[in-house]
Amino acid sequence: MKQGLLLVLFLIALTSLCDTINQLFLKSAIDSLNFTPTLNIIKIFKFIFQLVSKPRLWVGLVFSLISLCVWLVVLSKADLNFAFSADSMHYIFIALASRFVLKEKMGTWRWLGTGLIVVGIVFVSLS
Amino acid sequence: MFKKKVTLKILLLLIASDILETAVHFFFKKSTLVFSQGQVTDLATMLVFLKVVFSSAFLWAGLLTVVAVFIIWSMILSKIDLSVAVPIASFSYILVPLVSIIFLHEQITALRWIGVFFVILGVIFVSLSSKERTEQAK
Repeated sequence: MKQGLLLVLFLIALTSLCDTINQLFLKSAIDSLNFTPTLNIIKIFKFIFQLVSKPRLWVGLVFSLISLCVWLVVLSKADLNFAFSADSMHYIFIALASRFVLKEKMGTWRWLGTGLIVVGIVFVSLS
Repeated sequence: MFKKKVTLKILLLLIASDILETAVHFFFKKSTLVFSQGQVTDLATMLVFLKVVFSSAFLWAGLLTVVAVFIIWSMILSKIDLSVAVPIASFSYILVPLVSIIFLHEQITALRWIGVFFVILGVIFVSLSSKERTEQAK
């Protein structure tokens, strides 16, 4: 039982990590395009077309696919409440990756806000 | 230079992406319920598991929704920091309890309310941090 729990935690960390890597590649590909959000369908499709022709996007999608497969295994093994509460570590991975890989300026409030969200999700999921 | 402030347009996109994301979770969970051969313990069972799951219509409905979420999410990320977009998208943790109360008449425990409060506070802090950054970036 204990070993099963450790395995599930490891799988959840793996799925979070793969998704974070995917987000990093996606964000980096998007930033290289200089697009402004619009409701113009033609512009959106042009943007998506430019985006999918970036090789690094596909590297990200491979990680996304791994993340999805692992997440499906997690869902089949673990209680949904537990899976979601443990998946809140995703927000920590994203914050660290944004800060150290994308060099985004986090600031005290953003760290504090991210921390509150993680604690909040654990409470919501486990209660 | 980019403006990184969270505007109403971005907020609406985030809500749309959150609702669709919830639909994705619903479809994926439904697809795993098709698998009834017990626990996934080794690579061989995992392959059987994936084969069963990928032949479920729910999984493909989920994947189609994933494409929609991808397009909306890309538009969001074109304007704001990753470290802002991801935490703000967490307000599905607020939406789900509210929907449960209003439409499903579920009882929400005190601990869950505290959790919802923390998430709301966190989302507000992160949104404000993004505004501050725009001002700093002149």
